[in-house]
Amino acid sequence: MDSVRTFCIIAHIDHGKSTLADRLIQHCGGVSSRDFRDQLLDDMDIERERGITIKSNTVTLSYAARDGRTYQLNLIDTPGHVDFSHEVRRSLMACEGALLLVDASQGVEAQTVANMYLALEYELEMVPVINKIDLPSADIERVKEEIADDLGLDPDGAVQCSAKLGTGIDDVLEAIVHRLPTPKGDPEAPLQALIFDAEYDPYRGAVLLVRVMQGRLHAGQPIELMHTDARYEVEEVGLLQLKKVPVSELAAGAVGYLIAGVKSVSDINIGDTITDAERPAPTPIPGYREAKPVVFASMYPITNEEYEDLGKALEKLKLNDAALIYEKDSSAALGFGYRCGFLGLLHLEVVQERLEREYDLPLILSAPSVRYRVTLTDGRTTMVDNPSYFPDPGVIERVEEPYIKAAIMMPDRYIGPVMELCRERRGEGTTFHYLAVGRVELTSQLPLAEVLFDFNDRLKSVTQGYGSFDYQLTDYRDTDVVKVDILVNGEPVDALAQLVHRDKARPRALHYCERLAATIPRHQFKIAVQGAIGGQIIARSTINAFRKDVTAKCYGGDITRKRKLLEKQKKGKKKMKMVGSVEIPQSAFVAVLKTDKS
Amino acid sequence: MQPDLPGPASSERAGLYLHVPFCTSICPYCDFAVLIAGEERRREYLTRMATEAELYRGCGLVFDTVYVGGGTPSTLSGDQLGGLLEQVRSSLAIDPGARLHLEVNPEDVDPSRVREWRGLGATFVSLGVQSLNDEVLRRLGRRHDAARARRAATLLLEAGLPTVSLDLMYGLDGQSDAQWRRDLGEAVALGPQHLSCYQLTVHDGTVFGRRARRGELHELDDDGQGRLFELTHRFLADRGYEGYEVSNFAAGREHRSRHNQKYWDHTPYLGLGPSAHSYQVGRRWWNRRKLRLWAADLGEGRRPLAGEEVLGREELALEAVLLGLRTSAGIDLERIRSSFGVDVVAANQERIRSWSARGLVRLGAGRLAPTVAGMAVADALAREVELPVCGG
Repeated sequence: MDSVRTFCIIAHIDHGKSTLADRLIQHCGGVSSRDFRDQLLDDMDIERERGITIKSNTVTLSYAARDGRTYQLNLIDTPGHVDFSHEVRRSLMACEGALLLVDASQGVEAQTVANMYLALEYELEMVPVINKIDLPSADIERVKEEIADDLGLDPDGAVQCSAKLGTGIDDVLEAIVHRLPTPKGDPEAPLQALIFDAEYDPYRGAVLLVRVMQGRLHAGQPIELMHTDARYEVEEVGLLQLKKVPVSELAAGAVGYLIAGVKSVSDINIGDTITDAERPAPTPIPGYREAKPVVFASMYPITNEEYEDLGKALEKLKLNDAALIYEKDSSAALGFGYRCGFLGLLHLEVVQERLEREYDLPLILSAPSVRYRVTLTDGRTTMVDNPSYFPDPGVIERVEEPYIKAAIMMPDRYIGPVMELCRERRGEGTTFHYLAVGRVELTSQLPLAEVLFDFNDRLKSVTQGYGSFDYQLTDYRDTDVVKVDILVNGEPVDALAQLVHRDKARPRALHYCERLAATIPRHQFKIAVQGAIGGQIIARSTINAFRKDVTAKCYGGDITRKRKLLEKQKKGKKKMKMVGSVEIPQSAFVAVLKTDKS
Repeated sequence: MQPDLPGPASSERAGLYLHVPFCTSICPYCDFAVLIAGEERRREYLTRMATEAELYRGCGLVFDTVYVGGGTPSTLSGDQLGGLLEQVRSSLAIDPGARLHLEVNPEDVDPSRVREWRGLGATFVSLGVQSLNDEVLRRLGRRHDAARARRAATLLLEAGLPTVSLDLMYGLDGQSDAQWRRDLGEAVALGPQHLSCYQLTVHDGTVFGRRARRGELHELDDDGQGRLFELTHRFLADRGYEGYEVSNFAAGREHRSRHNQKYWDHTPYLGLGPSAHSYQVGRRWWNRRKLRLWAADLGEGRRPLAGEEVLGREELALEAVLLGLRTSAGIDLERIRSSFGVDVVAANQERIRSWSARGLVRLGAGRLAPTVAGMAVADALAREVELPVCGG
């Protein structure tokens, strides 16, 4: 066990985490150069495109250290975005240490700090690594100061490297071996293994990624999942060396995979503890929490026939994404769909994109909402995240909405615009303090709902990309929320309805009307798009009837081409959603969620 | 995939189309099968046309219209044209009283050519005027000017041909409503029995298409196109020209293009020449587009086919609807019901009711006929129609 190190890399987006991971793997010969792809761990297209890691992947490396010994290094990849702190947590639980990666020119950012605090909760040993030292704009001294001031770590212990060029990778590996603790745990104790990730294999069912804390795990063993009480028998255990390599057992301290005939994905909870069914541990591993979604939206397939496929796809996605929750939902306008809960807006977008790309399911999404606490005049309280279920204002005593404490780090020259942005977003108690010369951390108590709608984009825009943002949920506070209905030719489109603060209702309704007017194609008749509270119209735009849609020439007998074009267009129409006699393309539902600035 | 030769004789009189692919220059908006060729290739073309016509000897069709289109048929000399028609007549059954429809360009019109065309029996001559404005003609890449077009029109009209049609284009980038109205007014003043007014369509693969993609040419927006369409129909209706089809206007029913109407109601037609299309009893086939390949097939005794399809009842019904909605006569509901088993009205009651309420169609006398506003959106209406084929 003393030759095992298990660690993760904590970094802000774009600070080079995936590149560093690739280098470590390459350096340890974990992959031949032929197999080597850039950013090996980010194996999903979306991750590659957005430069973020969504799913945590794990790899076990064999490192021949300078002391002549060979170490087994378990690298657990973690997502870097604030939405995925739940996934970060369970990855951290599997580790003894973390590399805290800081970009030599960008310095310490809000997410780095947030994740470091998480890591501290799990008592991980931390090694600061300054990456991108090859950049002309690298300012190592300043970054060292930030490591001391913002992170409270010893800047002299920072390892310097350029993952891109491969310089300093040896030093990083040596630091892992010598500065991170060895796993503790007793192989003879009753089994406790943490499920920190899972993936779906179409041939073998659920593959669980586990960290064995105590005891041993081997094929043939009867096991129990302590939070769900489900029982299985282990079919295979093994190591994750880019490919899965079966081994006879995984003992305390080991990281590997487990196949146990788990078919139903709902049987698994990431973060759950596996124990031996015949010799169970007295308690599960502490620190388990269920991921709590904070953003809710409904997803509808374009055609009703795809509803079943959507259900299956969500079930599969859930296997890799413990934080995703969903339940059946139906809309008068859009038919059957699912109401889903997400960790944040990025999480929502990632799920949507995966459904569209991996499962070929184009979707229509309703306006995302937070979960409101509504107290009724009869004293009952109810939680509402779906505008369709928002009670009649006549029976509402009070409404509360979730607040967050946002931490925004940025150069001090942007204080003005960022404070203005927070004010616009109903921020309260906005204050700031200097972290270092020229660098501030601004905190503000903001309604979560105000952050959902493009806050990050706006922040990036007003700080020219220098501002970074992290938040945590704090409490519920009184609010004045109204339900804004969107009507297309007088018919309310329930999937476009939303709960909005009264002061924001009119501009939001107008934004929706204008976006819809710009994306709904012209029809043979004039279409009114209206925003309304109750029966009162608060915003309106109009889509004029089209006046010309006919080919000039239809001669020489080539009717076939003309008919085929029409047949194709007829099929295309079936992909649109009909609301009354108006066809609304999927793009309209997407467009309303974007701001003019993005 | 050679289709069978057309089936047994039809009681209907069929239409014969002869495609002349030659032009003296290629217009920047044109996406037809055309080319510029020397005398040798023209001779080869004429020989192969005779070969192709001979392939259909005994096909059972009797033709009462012959349409010579292109391309520019008037680039063929009177002798060439006469020879072509004679060879076709020797292979196929053409009514002695068949109408002969000829497309000609203004630069080819002079008194002796007009005499030749009359002598060949032309009953309907379409003159490719395009515009009576020199600036517009220049932008359209035409070889004639407005004066030449006027002269050509006058010559044809004075020759006493039964129907002379002037072909015009509108909806060009930068063309004002007033300009187009002036063009129309001048054309009407010449006194043709028929007018074809085509709204410019920018096709990919044409010079205009490339210019549009580069942003150098702007197509009129939907409102502008609709406005011009209605202006055109209103202007000509006020002057006695009925818009009997999207782009066609006749001063009296007898001046409508009888040949073109066959395309619109599934009357059999046979097309000879590169890219020509043919239709008979639920089957449509079309020739290779390139002159060289078309000629090569015929030279080796093969039918020069590029494709064919057998249409199902639903497809036929859709065509009947989309073509019917392009004509003032509208959709023949009984024909669609009895021939294709589709009850258009029953399957689209709510839709037709709302179209009527919006002034797009009129239902009556067994027909669903578009108004001018409805004709302007005929494609959109056809896209909406449901056409469930009933059993039996």
